[in-house]
Amino acid sequence: MVRRVVLAVLVVVALALLTVSFRSPTSGVLHDAQSYGSDALRPFQVAAVRVARPFRDGYDYLDSLATAKSRNAKLEKMVRDYRSQALLNASAVQQNNDLKRLLRFESGPSYPQDFRAVNTSVLSFPSGTFTEQIVIDAGTSSGIHVNTPVVSADGLVGKVTNAGHTTSVVTLLTDPDSAVPARDLKTHVSGLIRHGQGGTLILDRVSKDQVVNKGDWIITRGTVDRRFPDEYPYGIPIGRVVAVGTSDIASFLTVQVQPLANIDSLDAVAALVPKHPRAKP
Amino acid sequence: MTIADGVKAAALLFVATIAQVSIFSQLHVFGGVPQLVLVTLVSVALLRGTVVGALAGFFAGLVVDTATLGQLGLTSLVLTVSGYWIGRYGETTGRDRGHAPFLSVAVVTFLYAFGILLVAFMLGERAPAGPEMRSLLPTIVMNLVLTAPTYALVRVLLRPRERADYATEVQLLG
Repeated sequence: MVRRVVLAVLVVVALALLTVSFRSPTSGVLHDAQSYGSDALRPFQVAAVRVARPFRDGYDYLDSLATAKSRNAKLEKMVRDYRSQALLNASAVQQNNDLKRLLRFESGPSYPQDFRAVNTSVLSFPSGTFTEQIVIDAGTSSGIHVNTPVVSADGLVGKVTNAGHTTSVVTLLTDPDSAVPARDLKTHVSGLIRHGQGGTLILDRVSKDQVVNKGDWIITRGTVDRRFPDEYPYGIPIGRVVAVGTSDIASFLTVQVQPLANIDSLDAVAALVPKHPRAKP
Repeated sequence: MTIADGVKAAALLFVATIAQVSIFSQLHVFGGVPQLVLVTLVSVALLRGTVVGALAGFFAGLVVDTATLGQLGLTSLVLTVSGYWIGRYGETTGRDRGHAPFLSVAVVTFLYAFGILLVAFMLGERAPAGPEMRSLLPTIVMNLVLTAPTYALVRVLLRPRERADYATEVQLLG
């Protein structure tokens, strides 16, 4: 009898917590209590990450040794390509600045100069097969709020979907609920970045008459209309097009994008907080 | 169940939970993730019965949901029922059987996955069964690998109960 009463009480309490939490997931008394609880658990999570780090670094080191030679050749080729590209870009930037001055062109805050990077470590990683979220070691006390974009050294990672005092939940680009307005840097074709198969992304909503080429860079589109500001500033690198396909019955192109950020093994990320409070992306 | 046992079980589950959210959740093998919390819970519930199993499940779920800022109560609900059910098995037919921890872990991993899917579905959230099913087998295999060392450790810390402590009769209902 006692055991059934205990079970019933625990189930009822769990259901009550679930109901309240479901009704107000990012605010309210329960969210605050959960946030304080998360703060209390943070030192333990940081300690666990530090304990695991040498083992992880050791594995990464051995893994990188196996591919070092081929990787080096590939990187040398990339450096040569980028060097010639940088020269062209420098003159283009100069020309762009001159034209903006002539036109008295107004624009929103641009990435990265108008944003302060809150560098932080990753405390926990996606545990479910249908949730792609991580917990980071920074929250509202660092200026982070819901919808703050999060990047790694390589590119866009996702955005904050729940912010506590000192920890925040980041929904990754690979989460099925994620959708990021993006554009092809070369052909200026716009679309929506969504999750794809096997850890890749797809550039969705690109009509068949538009051109996207394999190898093109995909970046965030940013705000197009000031009345509807986008959560992501213009110009954050997202990934590179690895395949473009089409079929007779599909309305849109199938553009497969390989994310630049290594989303499966994130150690540290940066949340982009606007330098000027009034500035909107 | 003494207070010392309760403290030991709580400490074990706390460490397992922190290790789960910070370390183990990163180990993706063929899409599966080892679930140390589940294996530890099964070990505790098998050795200490229904009430402790249910309480331990509730506590572990609460810590998981708090640490990940997830939906409070979701993991607790599923782990409470899992802990209770495994505790019942441990008190009755599962006692003294060598395969009990392995069987329990395999079954609970399966039921836990379905439980989370079911609750998510009932809440109107996305609950795709396909990816969950594809990752289930590797998850079960990894959990079974964790079972022997985890159960041995828990058994050292929580000494098995005397035979007289177990349920000795089954009440027929209806």
